[in-house]
Amino acid sequence: MSDRRTLQIKQISAHPGPIPGEGVQRDLEVCKLVDTTTCIGCKACEVACVEWNDMPFTPTTFDNTYQTMPETAWSFWNLIKFNEHQREDGTIQWLMRKDQCMHCADPGCLRACPADGAIVQYSNGIVDFNQENCIGCEFCVSGCPFNIPKFNPTTKKVYKCTLCSDRVGQGLEPACIKACPTGCLKFGSKDDMKFIAEERAQQLREHFGYANAGVYDPASIGGTHVIYVLHDATRPELYGGLPKDPQIPWSYTVWKWLAKPVLGTLALFGLLGVCLHYVTVGPRKSQPEPPPRKER
Amino acid sequence: MTNGWIDIKNTDMMLIMGGNPAENHPCGFKWPIEAKLNRNAKMIVVDPRLTRTAAIADLYLQIRAGADIAFLGGLINYAIQNNRIAHDYLVNFTNAAFLIKEGFKLPEDGLYSGFDSEKKTYDKATWNYEEGGDLTGKAVAAMAAAGAAAHKAHTSDTGGGQGHQAASRMGAKGSAGTPPPPMLPPKVAYDLSLHHPRCVFQLLKQQYSRYTPEMVERITGIPQDQFLKAADMFTSIRKDGDMKQVATIIYAVGWTQHSFGTQIIRTAAMLQLLLGNVGRAGGGVNALRGHSNIQGATDMAGIFEILPGYLKMPTPADTDFAAYLKRITPTASKPTQWDSFNYWSNTPKFAVSFLKAMYGPAATKQNDWAFHYLPKIDRNYSWVNIWNDMYEGKVKGLFAFGMNGVMIGPDSQKNIDALKKADWLVVCEIYPDETSEFWKAPGISPDEMKKIATTVYRLPGAGFAEKDGTFVNSARWLQWKNVALPPPGQAKVDQEILATIFLKVRGLYQKEGGKFPDPILNLSWAYTDRKNPSLSEVAKEINGKALADITDPKTNQTYKAGQQLPGFAALKDDGTTMSGNWLYCGSWTEAGAMIQRRGTEDPSGLGVYPNWAWSWPMNRRVMYNRASCDLDGKPWDDSRPQVWWDEAKQSWVGNDVPDFKPDSNPKDHMGPFIMNPEGVGRLFVPLGAMADGPFPEYYEPIESPIANPLHPNQNNNPVVKKYKTDMDKYGSVDQGYNVICTTYRLTEHYHYWTKNNPMNVQLVPEPFVEIPVELADKLTVRGGDKIKVTSARSTYIAKAMVTRRIRPMKIDGKDTFQIGIPIHWGFRGIAEDEDKTAKTLANQLTPTVIDPNAFTPEFKGFLVKVEKA
Amino acid sequence: MGTAVDRFDDKARGLFDRIGTNDVYQGELLRHRPYTRFLHWMVALFFFLALFSGFGIYLPWLFRWFTPIFGGGALARSMHPWFGVGFCFFFGLQVLNWLEPMLWSKADTEWIRGLKNHVLKPEKLEPTETGFFNAGQKVQFWEITIGSVVFLITGIILWIGAGTFGRITVAVSYVLHDISALVMLFGIFIHMYLSTFGQPGTFHSMTRGSVAESWAWTFHPSWYKQVTGRDPRQAHEEARRQMETGRR
Repeated sequence: MSDRRTLQIKQISAHPGPIPGEGVQRDLEVCKLVDTTTCIGCKACEVACVEWNDMPFTPTTFDNTYQTMPETAWSFWNLIKFNEHQREDGTIQWLMRKDQCMHCADPGCLRACPADGAIVQYSNGIVDFNQENCIGCEFCVSGCPFNIPKFNPTTKKVYKCTLCSDRVGQGLEPACIKACPTGCLKFGSKDDMKFIAEERAQQLREHFGYANAGVYDPASIGGTHVIYVLHDATRPELYGGLPKDPQIPWSYTVWKWLAKPVLGTLALFGLLGVCLHYVTVGPRKSQPEPPPRKER
Repeated sequence: MTNGWIDIKNTDMMLIMGGNPAENHPCGFKWPIEAKLNRNAKMIVVDPRLTRTAAIADLYLQIRAGADIAFLGGLINYAIQNNRIAHDYLVNFTNAAFLIKEGFKLPEDGLYSGFDSEKKTYDKATWNYEEGGDLTGKAVAAMAAAGAAAHKAHTSDTGGGQGHQAASRMGAKGSAGTPPPPMLPPKVAYDLSLHHPRCVFQLLKQQYSRYTPEMVERITGIPQDQFLKAADMFTSIRKDGDMKQVATIIYAVGWTQHSFGTQIIRTAAMLQLLLGNVGRAGGGVNALRGHSNIQGATDMAGIFEILPGYLKMPTPADTDFAAYLKRITPTASKPTQWDSFNYWSNTPKFAVSFLKAMYGPAATKQNDWAFHYLPKIDRNYSWVNIWNDMYEGKVKGLFAFGMNGVMIGPDSQKNIDALKKADWLVVCEIYPDETSEFWKAPGISPDEMKKIATTVYRLPGAGFAEKDGTFVNSARWLQWKNVALPPPGQAKVDQEILATIFLKVRGLYQKEGGKFPDPILNLSWAYTDRKNPSLSEVAKEINGKALADITDPKTNQTYKAGQQLPGFAALKDDGTTMSGNWLYCGSWTEAGAMIQRRGTEDPSGLGVYPNWAWSWPMNRRVMYNRASCDLDGKPWDDSRPQVWWDEAKQSWVGNDVPDFKPDSNPKDHMGPFIMNPEGVGRLFVPLGAMADGPFPEYYEPIESPIANPLHPNQNNNPVVKKYKTDMDKYGSVDQGYNVICTTYRLTEHYHYWTKNNPMNVQLVPEPFVEIPVELADKLTVRGGDKIKVTSARSTYIAKAMVTRRIRPMKIDGKDTFQIGIPIHWGFRGIAEDEDKTAKTLANQLTPTVIDPNAFTPEFKGFLVKVEKA
Repeated sequence: MGTAVDRFDDKARGLFDRIGTNDVYQGELLRHRPYTRFLHWMVALFFFLALFSGFGIYLPWLFRWFTPIFGGGALARSMHPWFGVGFCFFFGLQVLNWLEPMLWSKADTEWIRGLKNHVLKPEKLEPTETGFFNAGQKVQFWEITIGSVVFLITGIILWIGAGTFGRITVAVSYVLHDISALVMLFGIFIHMYLSTFGQPGTFHSMTRGSVAESWAWTFHPSWYKQVTGRDPRQAHEEARRQMETGRR
């Protein structure tokens, strides 16, 4: 199937050297579009995700909300966040947003990951975890601006939404897309999804009175491969804390790729220093030193 | 549904009330969204709570549970006052121009003419059309007469007055001494100018002129400005009389489950007729059925008073088949110049074919087609009455197949106590449920348990994926489904269980005789595997076949004996055809199983999909679609052409199957509502079709926080009867029940059995009660705290979901709270078995009171008090 | 509290004295008792375990070299915190054990002022004020003490994770943890050098426990005076003269 080409690796976490097969083919970037203005929070995507990925059931407790659990779990990658928002005029808006991995163009998890090959980014934009190589250090958890990767204390590895790379690699849409009954989830090329999303936002502005309707595709992390249509794109934080301007901690960019090798080298200068000291200054011996033996 | 799920995509305006399709029909809800996306359609949601549906609405109004008629009546008033009505449609396709008999009185005091306060029933003689001719332009003279006539209304002889058809033979024989029941006049007086004071339109106008925005606010709790905004938005489709745009009304059991439920739906239907939205793509009145096959259950006589295909059930007064047919076969009643198809005039064909399907060769002309094998209903055997009768010791045993009677309620405790008095109970289920374990209900002590003498038989049923057969969806599509996997263990499919029981019973009758063995012995059971009939055989039997070689006189086509019939037009009343349900005739023809078709072609783009499965009647996707055209047979909106009159072919043609007499030239003025004897849509329902009034009137729910602002002395629906056992208690504000409560389902659960499925339990783990923030503050309750909800019947305990999605309301000036309870949890299930819930049942709270027309219990809008638990 | 610590130390020292042995030959002084040596080597062991397991997590391109030592990345990662706990535990005991000799004095300040000379143009003999530990050793000790605290706090944050502490805390901890490791790594080279090649005669103080008297008066004159009662300079002078005499 020619669609298998979509799983061409683009980036590998913590991988020195070139990427196998890089640049040998050109791929479309894929994208999932979530239209929050037509999402009814039915949770079909949640169930489809659990079932396709064959995940065990996660015990939950009532938490004063329709939301299944407070945040995604290692065994629950797709969670609709329910938020009640009171507008200025006193009316209530019930916002529902499907939360899952955003598949950032510049993935914080991949940047933070120290394990070679534990996280890969395919050239179609999917960011995938390879648990075989994961060491469970959880740096990705803090690297992610969306609080997505979750640690499984039993296997000691981290898990997250794969954008159904197994399905996409076979030319199928992700399971959540397949299950969505209202069509608020769409899947296709990034360009197409962006076009549809912008059109919908324009429709919301022109015909439905949402003056601030817009598309969420944050530039601060190079855009994402999951994009949202929001009623109010100026306030993404209303939708269960979607960050307005997601950032990857500087420590993972500056520190990991620049300062770490430099400072590491500096530390090794200690070794160099003592060697030089031995050669130039020489050891310090207990006194009195016996005089050097004269050659007969 | 008059239309269908997919057809909703063609609408311009949606009013969703008494239903939460996003929650309960998420798959179908795709189509309202399509309408929004592709047509910029607007969605108005009116509901006691801001629901999942309301979350994506363009306008949401919070209404008091049960106040729907006031709101819809207000919309009718607004449409008339602002002339946002479909005038031509109204005059020609509805009974707006028909004259009503003198003496008919509107319910200014809460009562229509003819009320018998002792029997709590109406004498409906005055609820009838005036016999006569064209009175157009003769209104002034009539007006003078009207004043004098009004007084006579109550006293006038209702038996044999002018305008009644001759007394029926059945009536005379069946109930000697009582006057013969009134009939519709064959020639109806009418005034096309709609000015006559007794024409339906003027009465309608007068009736709803009382439903002013002020009154709507007092009753519904919706502030006037919001109401006016909604009214303006909804009726904007008929701005300046333009007929192009279409609005739809979508509802579910939020309308039916009231002591006036049928009348709410009537109000909606009237509003749609007024705006000319019925029969049109993107219009109609659309009932969302709450189960995958509830439409099928209704079509196949899931209700005690009908036979398959909505044939009326015989009563003891039907002394023979002819009397029965006379009673149930209507005759046309219309203006002389108009034509009426009156399709129910074919009733004899349907009835005889049905009896031939039931009793085969045993049904002969000589024995009245075995008519007397059919049971005759002597009283009301509806759901609540079965349980009431059991509670009173009159019903001794119950088969519960695929339903959980204890959970369903109303007043679940009464149902539990009723089962204690039964001799036996048979439950066919896939899980241990509350009904089969009613004797283990919380509160029953071990000693008490020993005293319960009911024998419970549990039968292992099969789940929906373990059996084939059909589902009939809300859009009336019969869709065949295949088996996904075989039933596990000893579980058996329903037909095998039923066949085994039937054959055993028949064996006993054969051996022992009995009082009246014939219906059992002669029941047609001609299946290949008699112990486990194949459902495809049953489906073919329901479609029907020719029993002798017959020829259709119109098409000259011949059907040989044994051949499947192509449609109900081929049915005969001479015993040469059989059909288990005339409505389904055409679903499995000689060409094959129409219900198994999977064609995805939609040439018109209107979402008709004529080759996908099969919809009754005769694969029509939008009912009454002749009304989508003007008087000349041209579509009101040529961008959505459904059917039209083809002058060249002298026939109705189109993208959908015309729901009409195909060769009826528009000039003949045949009414599009061919199932009514008038041929037109009924704004006014004459005679006995409705128990509580020809126009809907707003009545308070049985338990309501205020006196009816329209007529405080006639608070409730006058014909509703309260039950009188010691269990039947009704609460009032004086007793401290001051919070309005409503019940509903969640997307995450399916009634009472997904609480056994970990996946669903994971999504919503525990029962809860939704309460407004303001009420929670008053009770000092926080989200997750347990609260106790008490009605006059019982108590329900669950955690509070404190939300801003339900706001406090002002009802007739009184600050009032509403709360809501999802119905899913009982005392058997994953959370229940782990002791995570209080094991109370939502329907322990609900009152035993039913709608007088459809007999649906009032599950919504009852009174409770709320405390911290 | 001080007394409790003293009593604990005394008990521990006594216990290890009974188990371990000191080989002190003629002309030697006992420098480190078995308890001290035990703690030192335990600290060293856990330090290197933590260091090598940490290398894999620290620098991706060291990953493939170091993680196999511990059975792969995941095992290295799951054992690393326990190594760290071991390091902190034993070093904590060492802190109690060495608290007294590690206290800072005025002389130490003076010593640090002359650090450049100590490194590049060292006197043959330490200043007479130099006690059991010189200021350089004390600096390293206190660096490791502070470093351990940083390890412990940031390590626990990293261990428990962003779910509890938030991603920014974790990201910052990650940096501090690494800086602490780098400083310690830098120090360990100097420590190893000075205890072996850089200052011959030092190493067996941590093996047999003893040092030569000459080593003592050269490098820790004040301590020499303390244990022998003799003046270190005088002792040195005598030895020097004796050596010259002997040679003649």
